[in-house]
Amino acid sequence: MHTMQQNEDTRRMTKSPPTTSGTDSPEHLASLLARVAATQCRAAFSELFAYFAPRLQAYGTRQFGNEQIAADLVQETMTNVWHKAHLFKADKGSPATWIFTIARNIRFDFLRKNKHRQHDLSADDLWPILAEQNESLDDDYALDHDVLMQEITEYYQQLPDNQRLVIEKIYLEGKSQQEVSDSLGIPLGTVKSRTRLALQKLREMIVNHD
Amino acid sequence: MIKFHPSEEILQQFAVGDLSPALSVVVATHVDMCSHCAKQVQEIEHLMAEKFSQTAKGIGSSQMDTMLEQIFASNEPAYQVIQDTDNIISLEGKRFKLPATLARQKDRIGPWSKVPGKLYRAPVNLGSGECMNLIYMDEGSSVPEHTHKGQEATLVINGVFHDESGEYRDGDFILMNSHDQHAPQTQNEDCLTLAVLDAPMHFTSGISRLLNPFSSLFFR
Ligand SMILES: [Zn+2]
Repeated sequence: MHTMQQNEDTRRMTKSPPTTSGTDSPEHLASLLARVAATQCRAAFSELFAYFAPRLQAYGTRQFGNEQIAADLVQETMTNVWHKAHLFKADKGSPATWIFTIARNIRFDFLRKNKHRQHDLSADDLWPILAEQNESLDDDYALDHDVLMQEITEYYQQLPDNQRLVIEKIYLEGKSQQEVSDSLGIPLGTVKSRTRLALQKLREMIVNHD
Repeated sequence: MIKFHPSEEILQQFAVGDLSPALSVVVATHVDMCSHCAKQVQEIEHLMAEKFSQTAKGIGSSQMDTMLEQIFASNEPAYQVIQDTDNIISLEGKRFKLPATLARQKDRIGPWSKVPGKLYRAPVNLGSGECMNLIYMDEGSSVPEHTHKGQEATLVINGVFHDESGEYRDGDFILMNSHDQHAPQTQNEDCLTLAVLDAPMHFTSGISRLLNPFSSLFFR
């Protein structure tokens, strides 16, 4: 018992203080997710994978008592993280919470898989965390539109290519996000996240300039 | 103002995904209606995630590489969109707006049938073999006094009903176990509830025994 306590303490001590910019701080993990969302950055994802896969493996093993099923859970969870990183909202919780809830959903469905039929209730019905929100971007960004128009034309050239393209089509060509999604052949959610990231970056450029 | 909430234990089981599908739907629907419980569920998820972050189990590096390759080569999972357009159900000329979780189950709501006592019931088929129903109680209606062999969870979607122990309104969550005995009724207002039963009802009062068709309120 005493030894266990010591181990606990050691582990806590060797961990970097939780809120600084250590490699496993929520801020750092969130920035990796943002890079995956914006540029499908494989290096950023590999770092996320190195951090989360062993934790998901431990969670899965505890839940299922079976390493192979646990590995399947790791694979399915992280596949969703790779494709759906744009759905992570830093203001709604930490990356660990988001990824834990994805794993919780997958576990919920795994437990019912043997009797799963197409119309059965799935975890997505209860916790639609991987659904594209029907948020209207117009509401979010309408305020910015007039103010930003001028600055956008000034700065948007400096954006990464994939963000610049989306901004060009929406703000300069006046296309809807759905039209951009259709014409570029990328998911609507990706269009939304690229717009969001691009506007964030533009705001930073504008603020820094002033 | 919601007065009756799921216990912390139930919220905990819900947040980690340990409740049955039907009970999960009832709790999730309450959470849609109750900002207090929504916040608590968020906190529980946050705590669980911290616990989850504390334990790691090594995976061999070649297995890690294989997994990564498979992920990079994978197709994007099916695209899900939250459809929030159709959340209205109509019954007896009245329209009810369903909370988000229940609205997502709209296709699973079966036809309404009339039950003696100015009651209506529509099954909600989750494919889990559980007994879940929307129950509509018109003004001045009553369910005979009964106990349950198992648990009965009830959520008020809209309106108000009473039993011996109190008055229940929009968003109130009531969990009765086999010791509880109650006879829900409405007075001047109607009431739409969502109910899950995990064992047949057992009617206690003499006259009600003759009214066994009542159990068709929940079972068929
Ligand atoms: Zn509540």
